[in-house]
Amino acid sequence: MKFSISREALLRPLALVAGVVERRQTLPVLSNVLIQVQDTQVALTGTDLEVELIGRTAPTQVDEPGSATVPARKLMDICKSLPEQSEIQFVLEDGRAVLRSGRSRFTLSTLPVAEFPNIEDGQGSVELSLPRGTLKHLIDSTSFAMAQQDVRYYLNGMLLELRSNLVRTVSTDGHRLAVCSRPADIDVEPAQKLIVPRKGVLELSRLLDDSDEPVSLTLGSTHVRAHTGEFTFTSKLVDGKFPDYERVVPRNGDKVFIADRAELRQVLSRTSILSNEKYRGVRLHLEEGNLRVMANNPEQEEAEENVAIEYSGPALEIGFNVGYLIDVLGVLDEERVQMTLADPNSSALMEEPGGGDAMYVVMPMRL
Amino acid sequence: MAGTPRKILHADCDCFYAAVEMRDNPALRDVPIAVGGGVDQRGVIATCNYPARAFGVRSAMPTARALRLCPDLVLVRGDFERYREVSRQIQAIFHELTPLVEPLSLDEAFLDVSDVEHFQGSATWMAHWLKAEALKRTGITISVGVAPSKFLAKIASDWEKPDGLTVITPDEVDAFITALPVNCLHGVGPATAAKLEAMGIATCEDLRTWPIETLLERFGKFGKRLFELARGIDEREVRTHRERKSISVETTFHHDLPDLAACQDALLPLIERLAGRIERHGQPPLDKLFIKVRFSDFTLTSLECPSATPSPALFQRLLEQAWSRAAQPVRLLGVGVRLVSADARRQLSLFESDA
Repeated sequence: MKFSISREALLRPLALVAGVVERRQTLPVLSNVLIQVQDTQVALTGTDLEVELIGRTAPTQVDEPGSATVPARKLMDICKSLPEQSEIQFVLEDGRAVLRSGRSRFTLSTLPVAEFPNIEDGQGSVELSLPRGTLKHLIDSTSFAMAQQDVRYYLNGMLLELRSNLVRTVSTDGHRLAVCSRPADIDVEPAQKLIVPRKGVLELSRLLDDSDEPVSLTLGSTHVRAHTGEFTFTSKLVDGKFPDYERVVPRNGDKVFIADRAELRQVLSRTSILSNEKYRGVRLHLEEGNLRVMANNPEQEEAEENVAIEYSGPALEIGFNVGYLIDVLGVLDEERVQMTLADPNSSALMEEPGGGDAMYVVMPMRL
Repeated sequence: MAGTPRKILHADCDCFYAAVEMRDNPALRDVPIAVGGGVDQRGVIATCNYPARAFGVRSAMPTARALRLCPDLVLVRGDFERYREVSRQIQAIFHELTPLVEPLSLDEAFLDVSDVEHFQGSATWMAHWLKAEALKRTGITISVGVAPSKFLAKIASDWEKPDGLTVITPDEVDAFITALPVNCLHGVGPATAAKLEAMGIATCEDLRTWPIETLLERFGKFGKRLFELARGIDEREVRTHRERKSISVETTFHHDLPDLAACQDALLPLIERLAGRIERHGQPPLDKLFIKVRFSDFTLTSLECPSATPSPALFQRLLEQAWSRAAQPVRLLGVGVRLVSADARRQLSLFESDA
């Protein structure tokens, strides 16, 4: 194997592929990136056995096609730290990968290509295509609510629901839930519901941009695959039953207020400084035209803020994990936010005034 | 000892869960009953009444074994909400006496009454009052130990159980400890007791003849504790703000367990004891399971995983992983659970099935 490539052509796909590679691996070859060189193409593959990402890029010159696996993170750190516009030459010499660029030379260890695992994907049954911007919006609007290392393993991922003319994502960690739906020009019958694991969701979002260019999806029974021009992403699916989001969206809320989103977010962020660092509880006192936000911590330090809101109704006092509220305010993009409450023990609904494509449900904390 | 001696009470309800059941259902009063899990779930006895104890039934015993000892044993599924309610009433009585209350579980607490001026400052009278009030308000009898330190108060409350009241005055401490068998000391389990016996130590008086250097050498930092306890020294304060973070049990074996299979066999009784202890604490919600392994070369390893139930299968998996880190004979095994903190429990859940 011998080829040369510009630093810039290598760096973007390498950074994304290296993102899939876990720092701590049980299998040594999983710390490596697989480099496959053909006449006009260099393909980079990273995998953790659950998620696999292949990135393709164009070399400047190929002298000898071939393949090798080299430590992903070291390769990326070297490429990153080389000067911009550097030209990098790769040569496989006696089982070691030699990188040359200008007056620099690096020799990296390799592991046999045959040891590099291929993610086994079953037959894809459904194929469809979505605008990349649509899928990215859906993922980015909901991924923050996914659970992390929960014993309810099916919560450590995102539900992707595809039905005719509609695509929807749902995530929840059991304390809050995010759901976002958008119309789409797809024809899926019967409707498909897949749970994409947390890591796959985060990596997939990094591949996507806001464009209307298509991303094609292949849905299998155990895997999902996404193609964009330069990338092929494959993820195992989580086998499990995702909670029914419709059952937890509150319908009984009768106290509806509207606030300036950025202002409310700042108020909550400031108040949170003096909330319990771990559990982050804040109290909201809702009253006509005003929302008072209060926090205190085990050191008995206190914060109090008032923010003007549109509200006329009975007073209510309710507690929340302030982080859950800030997360929602961070992903909504309207200028104003609407919050619907019922009582101190019932969930709150947050959305754009009048309702947008996304809904957020947050359970309170006992005061 | 410096300063005025403290006055510590240790109050312990007599077979608490069983007592609540007998109070609420007089038909159970004179028959052997036990609160605990059924045989089908490999349950253990949380508490049993005195008629059951006459058959040899004990808490933390597997229910299957209890039923072999006492075939007529009436097994009651625990109603922890009700026990918690009774516990709250009893704790409220403690707090009428002093704010310095350290609850150890639903049915047990230390009270520091050194500065209480009621009852002319007599801890003995206070103990009488606690017993009378608890019986009057809840129908539950409690045993109380009065002593100048926590460890002696705890031993004293057990001295004349049930419905006991034992007072160890500062003047009596020395004579009491002299005659005290060493296996009454908290922390002395079968392995330590055997080791002490091999050294010819049966009572605290015997223990006192050994210098601290030797005890440290043979028992590590527990040697210091043994040295102090044998002299009645226990300066631990009654701590009111203590949130229990975990519940665990562990055993040091008489002989090191040679291999993984032996460890796996030894794990089940430990898990059963742990289940009993979790029940005694009122089945708090669990966050994680953990395992602790000390190998024959004294290296220690521990491993944990998230789980809401003390599943034997998960413990076995943790054991396999932890054991394979050294793959040596094992001198100590421990299993435990980390609890969901009180603060974390304030966060409400979306799905009703959650705790």
